[in-house]
Amino acid sequence: MQLHIGGYLSFYMPGKQTRFDLGLEKPTPLKEILQCLDVPLGEVQLVIHNQSIVNLQDAVIRDQDMVKIYSSVDGG
Amino acid sequence: MPLKTKIKILRVDLTSGALDVEIFPERLYRLYPGGKALAGYFLLKEMPAHTDPFSPQSLLILASGLMTGSPISTTTRYVVAGRSPLTGAVGCSEAGGYWGPALKQAGFEAVIITGRAEQPVYIWIQDDQVEIRPAEHLWGLTTAEVEEMIREELGDPKVRVLQTGIAGENRVRFAGLTNDLRHFNARNGMGAVMGSKNLKAVAVRGSQRYDEIADDKEGLRALARKLARQVRENPLSWELQHRGTPGLVEPLNAGGMLPTRNFRQGAFEHAADVSWEVYEKELLTSRRTCFACAVRCKREVLVDGKPSRYGGPEYETIASFSSNCGVSDIKAMAKANELCNAYMLDSVSTGNIIAFAMECFENGVIGLADTDGIELKFGNAEAMLQMIEKIAHRDGFGDLLAEGSKRAAEQIGGDAMQYAQQVKGQELAMHEPRAKHNVAMGYAITEIGADHLVVAHDTAFTSRDALPFKSAQALGIKNPQPARSLSDEKMEQFLILESWNNFQNTVGYCFFGPAPRSFIPVEDVVESINLASGWDLTVENLLEIGERTTNLFRVFNYREGFTSKDDDLPQRFFTPLEEGALAGEAIDRDTFLAARAKLYQLKGWDPVTGVPTRERLEALSLGWAADMLDTSQEDVK
Repeated sequence: MQLHIGGYLSFYMPGKQTRFDLGLEKPTPLKEILQCLDVPLGEVQLVIHNQSIVNLQDAVIRDQDMVKIYSSVDGG
Repeated sequence: MPLKTKIKILRVDLTSGALDVEIFPERLYRLYPGGKALAGYFLLKEMPAHTDPFSPQSLLILASGLMTGSPISTTTRYVVAGRSPLTGAVGCSEAGGYWGPALKQAGFEAVIITGRAEQPVYIWIQDDQVEIRPAEHLWGLTTAEVEEMIREELGDPKVRVLQTGIAGENRVRFAGLTNDLRHFNARNGMGAVMGSKNLKAVAVRGSQRYDEIADDKEGLRALARKLARQVRENPLSWELQHRGTPGLVEPLNAGGMLPTRNFRQGAFEHAADVSWEVYEKELLTSRRTCFACAVRCKREVLVDGKPSRYGGPEYETIASFSSNCGVSDIKAMAKANELCNAYMLDSVSTGNIIAFAMECFENGVIGLADTDGIELKFGNAEAMLQMIEKIAHRDGFGDLLAEGSKRAAEQIGGDAMQYAQQVKGQELAMHEPRAKHNVAMGYAITEIGADHLVVAHDTAFTSRDALPFKSAQALGIKNPQPARSLSDEKMEQFLILESWNNFQNTVGYCFFGPAPRSFIPVEDVVESINLASGWDLTVENLLEIGERTTNLFRVFNYREGFTSKDDDLPQRFFTPLEEGALAGEAIDRDTFLAARAKLYQLKGWDPVTGVPTRERLEALSLGWAADMLDTSQEDVK
């Protein structure tokens, strides 16, 4: 799967990385994937799964999927 | 404990050439500690109702605040205020950079300018020496040329130059001001007021250090050092430093709230072409900052393959000239930004007005005969750049658009007004109101016309775990709320966040410093105020300063004939959004009107008319302003 970490969430990633290519052997809940990467789940505000907005709690990801997650977005 | 310094106000009468310095009493400064509050005080006290913004009698006020120029990161802001020629309401625009701190270093809190010079002039302030100098040789030049020439003739490359541009000279109603070519008092047309006074620039150089006026300089320095370290440790300020505001394009587009094609749509199919990653690859050359600020959110860019002298486009400009005009060419967008800064046009209004004209053109409301033969279709980057030139120079069709979208729509007639996305005559900033309902309410009711910095944005407060929500609890924000809601509790949040932002705009804090938007905790903001002043204020006192400022501006507008009818949104936002993740979303008009009445009530205003009550004004020490409520509104705009 391709994972894009958007907004300030990449602050928490090693090397402030924004993109990950991950191999999934089986469909996996997104929550589990993000927990493995130490993404603070409470700060994930928006999840785009293959171009649709989905609920973080329900999303199940397959190997060929594309996922983008974002923190809260303020103005400026 | 009294302040260590006197609050000095410089008065300049350009008609007579008279210069005067007065001391503003500390007992009043505690109520109006600079910036927006101080400007509101003088505008109400000294400018008669219905003064033509372009008349010699109109006031142009330049005001720093209590914290401006302190060692605390993000305390760089000052305001430019007057009566807006775009809206007819109170006009006020803030900027960072170096000019505000320089004014403070010269020993002045504010400059109040009246009159009109016979020939173009500029003002030169060097500590307590003030001079009005000829500027005929600067008239008609780009802002970069003007800054270079003023510094050269004053023999000092560190002189800070605040100036209007060719657009201001031509009284384009949304002309702004710039300092250091990279920081902009863009909104509300204050540059046109400056131009109408034949005033090209105000150059400043000062030698007084903030240490000399701070009550506890060691305490303030220690706090500044601690906060500077936190910039990189806080995810919110880290993101501002790393990506700056251009980083907003991608998440706003993903969330379906990127204004696209004159706010018809919430997502732009070419957003990836104007994203931060492309910006970084195609445009970015380096990063810059404002006075003593560790955030470093400013950007330097290439335009036409060369380093631009004007700084890089911020999010507002990117969205205004790309998605909202349907233009996917990031280099054309950067060129549009440079043109606006060279001529000193407000890029938000300029992009909006061109988008308005594009929609009129595509719907046959105007044609090639109106547009000087320019094919003004969405996505036509070349047409967009041509129109910027025409607006700045008031050439052909640009002369009409230079009046702003509301006046232009009135003159065009037909269906044109439905394509003008403005409130009180000022074009909306680049945040989709159907996605953020407190922002929508802010667009509707704020006294200066549609503006995006009235409240912190709803999307930051939807979850208990979101960093902005956590830090906002110190302000009294209790529960997370949906972004698309106008509940009573949302209106309570609105009032708190509006007061907090107006406090920041009064004392000189940038939106990108204090919580909840960024890294400075509320308690450290309070501490900084007390270390600087020697006062003993609480967060409640600071919110009251902000609320007082709102009410000053409200009374100003009342006097000019504004009513609750002016606190409304364009019809488009009560109809469904097209495209993107929030397609189909609309604001329910009845819910909006009920929420507005609730908000008026929470503010201590009449829930129907939106006029402040005497009781509330007196509670805010504004009894003198309450007397102005007796003024008749018959002689309105």
